[in-house]
Amino acid sequence: MKLLARYNRVNLVTTIIVMLITGIVYYQAINLILTDKIDKDLVVEENEIFDYVNLNHQLPQVFESNDQQITFTEQSPGSVKRSFINTLYRNREREDHERVEHGEHSEHPKKHRHRHEEEFESGRGLITSITAGGKYYKILIVESKVETEDLIQIIFAITAGVILLLLITLFVTNRLLLNRLWQPFYNLLKELRLFNVADNKDIPQLQTTIEEFNELNKAIVTMSSRVKSDYKDLKTFTENASHELLTPIAVINSKLDTLIQTDNFSQQQSKLLNDLYSAVSRLTRLNQSLLLLVKIENKLVGDKQFIDLHSSLQEIIIQFDEIFQDKELKVSSELDDKVLHGSPYLIDILLNNLLSNAIRHNYNGGTIIIKLNEEKLVIQNTGDNAALQNEQIFRRFHKSSNSEGSGLGLTISRQICENLGFTLNYTFEGIYHTFTIIF
Amino acid sequence: MKILIIEDESGLRESIEEYFMEAGNICETASNYPEALAKVNLYRYDCILLDITLPGGNGIEILKNLKQKNFADGVLIISAKNSLDDRLEGLDLGADDYLVKPFHLSELKARVSAIIRRKTFSGNNLLLFNEITIDLLAKTVKVNDQSVKLTRKEYALLLYFIANKGKVVSKNAIAEHLWGDGIDLSNNFDFIYSHIKNLRKKLMEAGSNDYIEAAYGMGYKFTDQ
Repeated sequence: MKLLARYNRVNLVTTIIVMLITGIVYYQAINLILTDKIDKDLVVEENEIFDYVNLNHQLPQVFESNDQQITFTEQSPGSVKRSFINTLYRNREREDHERVEHGEHSEHPKKHRHRHEEEFESGRGLITSITAGGKYYKILIVESKVETEDLIQIIFAITAGVILLLLITLFVTNRLLLNRLWQPFYNLLKELRLFNVADNKDIPQLQTTIEEFNELNKAIVTMSSRVKSDYKDLKTFTENASHELLTPIAVINSKLDTLIQTDNFSQQQSKLLNDLYSAVSRLTRLNQSLLLLVKIENKLVGDKQFIDLHSSLQEIIIQFDEIFQDKELKVSSELDDKVLHGSPYLIDILLNNLLSNAIRHNYNGGTIIIKLNEEKLVIQNTGDNAALQNEQIFRRFHKSSNSEGSGLGLTISRQICENLGFTLNYTFEGIYHTFTIIF
Repeated sequence: MKILIIEDESGLRESIEEYFMEAGNICETASNYPEALAKVNLYRYDCILLDITLPGGNGIEILKNLKQKNFADGVLIISAKNSLDDRLEGLDLGADDYLVKPFHLSELKARVSAIIRRKTFSGNNLLLFNEITIDLLAKTVKVNDQSVKLTRKEYALLLYFIANKGKVVSKNAIAEHLWGDGIDLSNNFDFIYSHIKNLRKKLMEAGSNDYIEAAYGMGYKFTDQ
């Protein structure tokens, strides 16, 4: 979920909740105040009745009023307890009232009353009692609450309106303002995506006045430069370690060469010496491959020239001729002309690696097919009848268990291709392990 | 021939010295920059084996010093640095060859021999070994005036053997010499056997003695003893 969407959601939910609570509190407060006012009206009415009875010793005439109704009922003495109640107000004029107001715009709607039309609406009542003319009466005074409810409706409408307005404002500000506010963040993200420890490009300083983004930018710049320097240290270490290893390897090599000049060797001894030679030459190649890899990754191999790939391939095929024959490999090639621009040294290594692999992982009497055209170079070879794990084989030191290579050949090949802007892919087609360089 | 070995790693220095030590050869050694500079300025050598990284200074400075004073000594740089730039810098400054560590002593010997040949055989391009005569310019081989037709690899092999005569040369070293560093295929160098067999057959058919002998399955030795 996007930060913006999440923020919007939280914002909306809280706004709605707060508005609802506010609405309820308003409703309660106003309801309380208005009920209190009605109660006071009822008490005034009660007092008027008491005054009237005190003066006249009889019940007053019950008269109709717009929003008050008084009824007297005879009860046994002492049975009525004085209390305020919520009750129904029987309205006999509201319909006419409205009809008049809407229809005739009269200022005196009461004159056109139709008594038979009745309806109920909520009201507030006071139950009290009085003794008049020796009789005990219960008095019920009811007043309509319809105005209170109108008020509450208005409050509700206003609250809803405010909520709606707030929501719209939120959406608009979020769309316009937040997107712009977060722009530095997205810029930074773009830089991070492009970040590559191996290249020399640094993450640029952001142009923003927002402190948080400045802090983030600062932290990222610091981190990236630290990562880069660590990576550089590591590479320097690899390079130095490989270099330092060369001298002892050279000593071992020369001592071996000296050793075989000495006297006769038994079968067993010469086997041991042969194994030693193999191990040393593997160590040498491994070391050279590591150094080469560092150099290619650092783009330290310059000297770009135009290379005729066609003749390079022919040369290398001739060079490998004895080895093809030794393994009885059938080699077929379809070579078109292709000229590319790059370091001849690296191209040589690339072709050498790919062809060596095609020979090494082949069986005696197998086939190698080399195709070159304007778009791509394809080298296919027979071998184990199962596909290799595609991305694994390009990893450092990944090699099949019976391989005598350094495990760096394909890593170097791919790195060279990347350097030249080509792609190197592996596929398994029928019986052929296929390596394709797409120019 | 007179050779100066400038190399700070004693193990390597001693091996080289021992390998080059034979009748008619004089080997001197230097293990650091001041010693090397002193020797280079005092005596003349047919070939100087120069290590670049030396205690007390850079081997390149010794090369510059030699060229400044117009000394004609052959110079072969032996260095652990394998970058094209280092190689080109050395050769631009007038070194005759550049060999990257680690190397086979037989390879070193072949390169040194080539340098010395170039320096001393001026006008005369013939290399003689008993009844075998090699014209280095025309790249032709004769045995007792009978011409022998060799392939490019067989010719290179013969030169390699003669430069290392009397020494056991490992199959490893031969393969690397003939196919270069790119030879990263297998440690089974049987495929060089056919070249050696063919060379031997051609030489003997032309009337040469059999000089090539196998050495306990490790390599071959070219010897007239």
